[in-house]
Amino acid sequence: MSQELLTDEIKQQLGGVGPVEIVVGIPSYNNARTIGRVVQAAQVGLLKYFPERRALIVNSDGGSKDGTSQAVEQANIDSQQVLLVRHALYPVHRLTTPYHGIPGKGSAFRTIFRIAEEVQATACAVVDSDLRSITPEWIDLLLRPVLDLEFDYVAPYYKRHKYDGTITNSIIYPLTSALYGRRVRQPIGGEFGMSARVARHYLTRDVWNTEVAGYGIDIWMTTTAIAEGFKVCQSYLGAKIHDAKDPGADLSTMLVQVVGSVFRLMEDYVAVWPKVAASEAVPLFGFPFEVGLEPVPVNVARMHDSFRQGCSDLESIYRAFVPPQRLAELNACAALADDAFVLPDELWSNLIYDFALAYHRRTLDRGHLVKSLTPLYLGWVASFAGQTAYETGSQVEDRIEHLCQVYEQLKPRLIQEWGIGAGEKRPES
Amino acid sequence: MRQFWEWSIQGPLKELAQEALQTLPGLIATVILVALGFAVGWLAKQVVYRLLRAMRFDRLCDRLGISAIIEGLGLARSSSYLAGQGVEGIFVITALLAGLNALPSNISRNLVERFFAYLPHVFAALGVLVLGTLISRFLGRSVLIAAVNAHIPSAKLFGGLTRFFVLSLTVVAALDELGISRTTIIVAFAILFGGVVTAAAIAFGLGARDLASEVLRTQFQPPPKQETDDSLRHV
Repeated sequence: MSQELLTDEIKQQLGGVGPVEIVVGIPSYNNARTIGRVVQAAQVGLLKYFPERRALIVNSDGGSKDGTSQAVEQANIDSQQVLLVRHALYPVHRLTTPYHGIPGKGSAFRTIFRIAEEVQATACAVVDSDLRSITPEWIDLLLRPVLDLEFDYVAPYYKRHKYDGTITNSIIYPLTSALYGRRVRQPIGGEFGMSARVARHYLTRDVWNTEVAGYGIDIWMTTTAIAEGFKVCQSYLGAKIHDAKDPGADLSTMLVQVVGSVFRLMEDYVAVWPKVAASEAVPLFGFPFEVGLEPVPVNVARMHDSFRQGCSDLESIYRAFVPPQRLAELNACAALADDAFVLPDELWSNLIYDFALAYHRRTLDRGHLVKSLTPLYLGWVASFAGQTAYETGSQVEDRIEHLCQVYEQLKPRLIQEWGIGAGEKRPES
Repeated sequence: MRQFWEWSIQGPLKELAQEALQTLPGLIATVILVALGFAVGWLAKQVVYRLLRAMRFDRLCDRLGISAIIEGLGLARSSSYLAGQGVEGIFVITALLAGLNALPSNISRNLVERFFAYLPHVFAALGVLVLGTLISRFLGRSVLIAAVNAHIPSAKLFGGLTRFFVLSLTVVAALDELGISRTTIIVAFAILFGGVVTAAAIAFGLGARDLASEVLRTQFQPPPKQETDDSLRHV
């Protein structure tokens, strides 16, 4: 099936390049504004840190109409200015290819993995094309643990603004840590390093026509790597500053793809996560330095309104899977004044488990279920923004770690109600 | 006198007795068939009810939203019990029809024939009703969730209207299939629907003139981006 991904023209181009050791993939869709700098950073990173290795930069594009491909072609570096200590033995090749399949980041990744397989690469890194804070060091930090320390999967670790990555902070990080027992702080970060073994493994899985083809790809890759026992680590990359992800995509669609993927993975790995009792830290490489971050303005009042409207208008939907007592707690929160509004961690974690259980039991259409989480999620963001308005980055991190602990404490209830036993889907491997 | 007795009294009585004797087997057969139908129907109900309960049919109906519809109809029974009753009903109706057919009467036979000719329409109408109800629930919920996520204040109203519209179409289609006052129903539906839309338009235009102009203005001239808009990056 993966054979069809590459056209004859691309195969011909790859034949001209020959075998390479490192592939750096950059998925893109209308990122002309930022991709040039990302390509330059990747190129400098490869020349500076891996001068003795053959490398290829692959831009897998989803049919951009803003000149993204031209920006990639024009992104050349001035070797005089870069000041390389060692001269590179080989040039860094570049390739731009459209991807096939369902439009989305996952389909772009699939093409990159297929190219890595075709050129027999030993390590592969992927970086988002909307990055504004990428430096050549990111390439080293993402690939070095794979090439020198035999890690299979390198997840990023960044300093982000407290209101950046709120789905990660409220659901994905705490839930993934509680379920699989490995604390990967940015499981859907967007930048990853991986061994050829993992990339090949991803290609064998039949998931490319699901949410994984879209925003679900990041969490799917991370969860698969953890749950299937690959060696996982994190690399500190500094600040993550990037453009907003696909402004056209609405929040509820994003939730369906990301949170829906986590819930679906719970079914795939039902033989794994119930056995995990506690979480542990994952090795972290790099030097964690302090960075300045761009402010992220938030409209808390509008999020309060969304939460209240959701509690009132969607109550008939929630009643199908949220216990009455919890529903009463939710309504009590909705009745609070804006300045006193707090959504307790216990209530939030229990709600996420209720949604996961309803997803598993197919209590209602899965798309409807996850989309109906949107106002509650905005309520969490409003509560979080209110509580952390004057907190420092480390205080916010402590708060998120506390949320992780609550998820872990409540996990036995999830296991008990999941009803593991007959008829459960097991992992393919 | 004897001749009169034989001709006027005994004769008709004999004829009646002969006719009764001719009809009696059919009548007895009818009674037996109906009794058998009730007995087998009751037995089938028990079997189906227990089997469906063991197969967790109620849970399936909960997931599909069928239980909620049953509850909405005021039937305070479980889905598996109602399915059992349905099976019992089929047995009883079949037995009644067989009984009617066993009677040596053209009227009863004609009735049975007409019933069987009408049966496909009943099933088609039932199918339309079930499908329409499920579609109305799905679409109503889609509209409700989308409207809430888009911060539309009357989200519940839009969801309810969607359900009402699809359900109305379903009922009209089902009644049309049954051939019940076809023209009257279509005309009544058209008048009702046209009336609702006209009334809503007039009410919106007269009662909420300012709101109407505001809606149209924002529709064609989006407001400038406010500084307080958030630029949250969720993932």
